[in-house]
Amino acid sequence: MYQYFYELTGSVIISTLITAVFPLVNVLLVALLGVYLERKVSAWMQDRVGPNRAGPFGLFQTVADFIKMLQKEDATALDIDKKLYNIAPVLVFAGSFAVYAVIPFSSKLIGSEIEVGLFYALAVSSFVVAGILMAGWSSNNKYSLLGAMRSAAQIVSYEIPTALVVLAMVMFLGTLSLSKISEMQTAYFWNWNILGGAEFGLVKFLLIPFMVVGFVIIFISTLAEVNRTPFDIPEAESELVAGYFTEYCGMKWAMFMLSEYGNMFAVSAIVSILFFGGYQSPFGYLGNTLGIEWLIPYEQAFWFILKGWFFIFVQMWLRWTLPRLRVDQLMTVCWKYLIPYAFVNLIIIGIITLL
Amino acid sequence: MNYYDILFYLFAIITLVSAGFVVTTRNVIYSAFFLLFTFFGVAGIYVLLAADFIAVVQIMVYVGGILILLLFGVMLTNKITNVDIRTGTGNLLPASIAVGLLMGALVSVMIYTGWKVQPGEVPDTSIKQLGALLITDYLLIFELLGILLLIALIGAASIARRDKE
Amino acid sequence: MKEYLKNTWLGIYTVLVGMKITFKHLFTPAVTIQYPEVKLKLPERERNRLYVNIDDCIGCDQCSRACPVSCIDIETVKSIPGEDLGTTSNGKKKAFWVTNFTIDFAKCCYCQLCVFPCPTECIYMTDVFEFSTYERNDLVYQFSNLTKEEAEQKKINFANFQAEKEKQKAAAATAPKTENPSQPNTN
Ligand code: SF4
Ligand code: SF4
Repeated sequence: MYQYFYELTGSVIISTLITAVFPLVNVLLVALLGVYLERKVSAWMQDRVGPNRAGPFGLFQTVADFIKMLQKEDATALDIDKKLYNIAPVLVFAGSFAVYAVIPFSSKLIGSEIEVGLFYALAVSSFVVAGILMAGWSSNNKYSLLGAMRSAAQIVSYEIPTALVVLAMVMFLGTLSLSKISEMQTAYFWNWNILGGAEFGLVKFLLIPFMVVGFVIIFISTLAEVNRTPFDIPEAESELVAGYFTEYCGMKWAMFMLSEYGNMFAVSAIVSILFFGGYQSPFGYLGNTLGIEWLIPYEQAFWFILKGWFFIFVQMWLRWTLPRLRVDQLMTVCWKYLIPYAFVNLIIIGIITLL
Repeated sequence: MNYYDILFYLFAIITLVSAGFVVTTRNVIYSAFFLLFTFFGVAGIYVLLAADFIAVVQIMVYVGGILILLLFGVMLTNKITNVDIRTGTGNLLPASIAVGLLMGALVSVMIYTGWKVQPGEVPDTSIKQLGALLITDYLLIFELLGILLLIALIGAASIARRDKE
Repeated sequence: MKEYLKNTWLGIYTVLVGMKITFKHLFTPAVTIQYPEVKLKLPERERNRLYVNIDDCIGCDQCSRACPVSCIDIETVKSIPGEDLGTTSNGKKKAFWVTNFTIDFAKCCYCQLCVFPCPTECIYMTDVFEFSTYERNDLVYQFSNLTKEEAEQKKINFANFQAEKEKQKAAAATAPKTENPSQPNTN
């Protein structure tokens, strides 16, 4: 993408800007449509109608909400730590937005094709943790502090199963680059990693169950990392009001929401890249059959965004199905179940890969 | 001055200024958060040196691990038990002598070492070479580090469990 | 170990069961009634806004006295002879001008206690329940159909009549007392 715009405009700054703005637009769209979808999905699952007043099918509900948020007074408590309080939402959003630098939307539409993409995506989420701790501490409020503590503990512990599954996948694929991982699963859906990868043979069939286990583990642990129900104890409404952003309102609060939805899409994207072929179409490309070269990247972007939305939908589905876990249950799930399984899975995938 | 230079100075300024604040502010929480920006700046410099893996590890380990633990510790003690932790300056003279000596040593090392400047292509990524080196030339050190970490882990666990009995 | 595997299985299985249920509900039609457009049929003896058929009201003040929150405000003026107020629909003769009949629906608790004592059944519940206003004063409903001037007029009429009567009484009092004892005899 960068290369393309660089050839087009001949300027480093402009091409960098365009490359950076695209994911931002994506995040905004994900947040706008995501909030809408969240409300609709929850409504449908509870046999309700959901927003249907603003615009056709209530589509402009979130736009209206956004405008309302812009107009809100920026009310702050007296005893907060002003500087940190103001930096925290920015840091949280920056952390979740930074992931988009390495996410390949299609073979052309990728911010930066660095080799350590996967590792980078795991690493920058630690800025989010720091931002959350900052928000919780600077609010000078017990709910915020408790929420921040819980959130940090949760994210740090759930990073381990994520990393273990990623490690297994890296062992199997031999690369950390997200675009290379996507490229490897090209052509049809049976080449996806969840179905044992592109190479045909005994290994492929042996791998399938362990890939499914790996997928389940990484899906659960990334779900926990983005603080979604059933792992939303950091912002548990019934106990902590809103957790670490209790004291925030207006646009600063919106930044937290934005980063939450941005995170949701990012982890969906990473899961789909690791296991579901990333931007690859499951049935081959229309551009190939029709002989139109330039169509392929657009098709890929379409498939990628579709997969991302699918996993967002699954996250919402889980959210409206399961109640919130207790803190000790949360830690039990992570340390006693996910991590041992991830370890065993890692070893088995390693052995099978060696075969 | 090209973009790389500008970026380098940007990261250098971030690192230095925030490091200065880490040392000088009196509020421990502020120090911890300034440390975040220091780490970030250092990671940026690593990236400019084409050490992508090290840069990411820098963020992962220092920001994601150590800094978070640090903040955790400070916050839990500072806010919950109502102990106001403030840093003070004591032992000014011995400290400055020690630091001065150390700095002198470091600077002299920097100046008098015959650095081997190797012109040539910077490799696209350093993971492959790093990985290969870790399990060939530096295998023993790598394993020893692993054992060290394991010992630390077991030690921490046993300390944490001691008063239960 | 067996326990552990069982727990894992149970965890995954129960989540899947839950997901199946919610997925089914994704396609069940909503039970929501889109209120302003669609309205439920009200039950038979619903209690909503009151209405007073003022033509039938005899101004007996019974409803006002029954009201537990005193939100009915009635002011009546006696009619003077020669004024014909007509009869109510069930044949009762009206004797009072109802100069003021207000119900404050901001206070009303819709208990229906005012409805039963009414001898002419002229105060009753309607099926109107959407009457929110921007001003609290707009919830005070005036049922009397006399205009202010008319009401004033009635009051003055009655006052005049009263004065007249007083005068007559006074005149009667000053008249010779001998006539008085003879009256019972004539009856
Ligand atoms: S319904 Fe009850 S509260 Fe309302 S006016 Fe009648 S008696 Fe009073
Ligand atoms: S009880 Fe009936 S007749 Fe009597 S004042 Fe009330 S509404 Fe009029």
